[in-house]
Amino acid sequence: MRGQAAGLSPTVRRLAIILLALCATPSLARAQGYIGRDIPHRGSVEASGGVTYSAGYDLGTISAEETRNTGGTTGGATGPFVLFTATSRAKGSPGVQGRLGVFLSRAASIEGGVQLARPILSTELSDDFESAPDVTATETLTRLLVNGSLVMHLTGLSFAGGKGVPFVLGGGGYIRELHEKNEVVETGHEFHAGAGLHVWYGQGKHRVGLRTDVGVSWRRGGADADDVQRTVPTAGLSLAYLF
Amino acid sequence: MRRLAAIVLTAAFVALTAMPVAAYLKLGTRAGTRTVTLKWGQMPIRYFVTDRGTTGVTSTQLRDAVGRAFHTWEGAPTAITSSEFVGFTLANPSSGDRATVIGFQNRPDLDRTLGATSFIVDTTTGEIVESDIFFNSAFAWSVAPEGAANLFDLESIALHEIGHLHGLAHSAMGETELRAGGRRVIAAEAVMFPIAFATGNIAGRTLKTDDIAGIGDIYPAPTFSRETGSISGKVTKSGKGILGAHVVAFDMQSKTLVGGFSLTEDGSFVIAGLDPGPHIIRVEPLDDGDIESFFDLTLNVDINFRPQFYDRIVVVPRGGGTSGVELKVVPK
Repeated sequence: MRGQAAGLSPTVRRLAIILLALCATPSLARAQGYIGRDIPHRGSVEASGGVTYSAGYDLGTISAEETRNTGGTTGGATGPFVLFTATSRAKGSPGVQGRLGVFLSRAASIEGGVQLARPILSTELSDDFESAPDVTATETLTRLLVNGSLVMHLTGLSFAGGKGVPFVLGGGGYIRELHEKNEVVETGHEFHAGAGLHVWYGQGKHRVGLRTDVGVSWRRGGADADDVQRTVPTAGLSLAYLF
Repeated sequence: MRRLAAIVLTAAFVALTAMPVAAYLKLGTRAGTRTVTLKWGQMPIRYFVTDRGTTGVTSTQLRDAVGRAFHTWEGAPTAITSSEFVGFTLANPSSGDRATVIGFQNRPDLDRTLGATSFIVDTTTGEIVESDIFFNSAFAWSVAPEGAANLFDLESIALHEIGHLHGLAHSAMGETELRAGGRRVIAAEAVMFPIAFATGNIAGRTLKTDDIAGIGDIYPAPTFSRETGSISGKVTKSGKGILGAHVVAFDMQSKTLVGGFSLTEDGSFVIAGLDPGPHIIRVEPLDDGDIESFFDLTLNVDINFRPQFYDRIVVVPRGGGTSGVELKVVPK
């Protein structure tokens, strides 16, 4: 009976169209609530570039120590002799960043990014045994951070007609820090988590938007003399392009 | 024809002796208008040990302690040195017989000297022809593995003297304080620091970073210049260079100290053998002991300035050097 459908009465055909419309309406409404009907979709690409800021963080205190003369009649002091102490801090620094992400679905994407910054390493020298005046010694590092993230786009929390879309992300990365003159390299790694917001403009299949995010990066290694995990607040603002 | 000259170096002192202070210096001698570094022309260094012990130490124990000390220097990764025990001898450890002899001598007249090293050198090349070491048996010695109360550790003093035998001078990597009758070492971070630790202390059996940098500078292993770097610059006061300032580089990663001196009238210094990475630079006057333990007294060594830090972190490159570090000090 393959020809029967074509032979539906106008009433039945109208009903079918209405039912289809009713069925279609909710999904169409959801699509319009998140950026657009056609994007993002699996395989959509988001490219972004902008500025970033990593807050300063302490790098601990180390001591210049000598071997104490113990034994005999040399007194009761024990432990290493401290010539002076050095307390270091990586100052907060702006940088630039670029990211490229691919959507796995309308609500999830993976992305890789690169950040470049030039933080100042500041070391306060104090407690000198021979009373050398306290001094803060500095150097400028060049920090390259290559990372990857899984981004979950919170479509249910979108607003402004789907143009504003919050997201959360998490991932890890590789840190490469060069000391002054770029002749000594130190490496480390980081894990990060954060949240942010996309605001998209335009109507077409290609969209331009702003992306801002804040987060925390847990770092180990790099120019840090101690093998200790450091917690670093971060923030970023980028211009994004979705296609 | 070789022009030979004998040089006597008093090298290790009893605690409470007036002492010098300095980071690693190389021994040198004048060759015309230039100074040449004292060093052995060939390895292994062949040595005899006197067949004579002292109270509490047999000649065999002396040989073993000296052998361990040579072995410790040979373990320095920055340098290539070797030694060979030739045998026992009845000869005294004194210059002139063309044989390197190490042994005890009773020198009660040297009441603050634990040991000393003397040389015969070719003054045209700086090559060491002979070097003798004596340990003063007027003191009480120990070779106990854990040290012994009220006895000086023979291996520790041997390690210091054998450092001289290789051509190293004194290091100023240490702190002292004046007490009635002399100067006491509070702490040191170099075997080549001129004042010995107290009796019973065996910390002097282990080379420090400063010692290892120094021996590498004289007998560099193939990797020495490739794997380490240097810092150079000037120490100035009121715009003029000063001589004899002790400059210390503190490695912020390994947390070790290596020192050097400004060795010319314009205040120039070089600290070599440093691991790559960031360093803190500190300069201080040579005021922890006798200047003559480090420099010829005819030199105009300036000790009238305050210790000071450099206000930049200095990064040492691998296989290269960072130059232009100017340390401006102020008078006391």
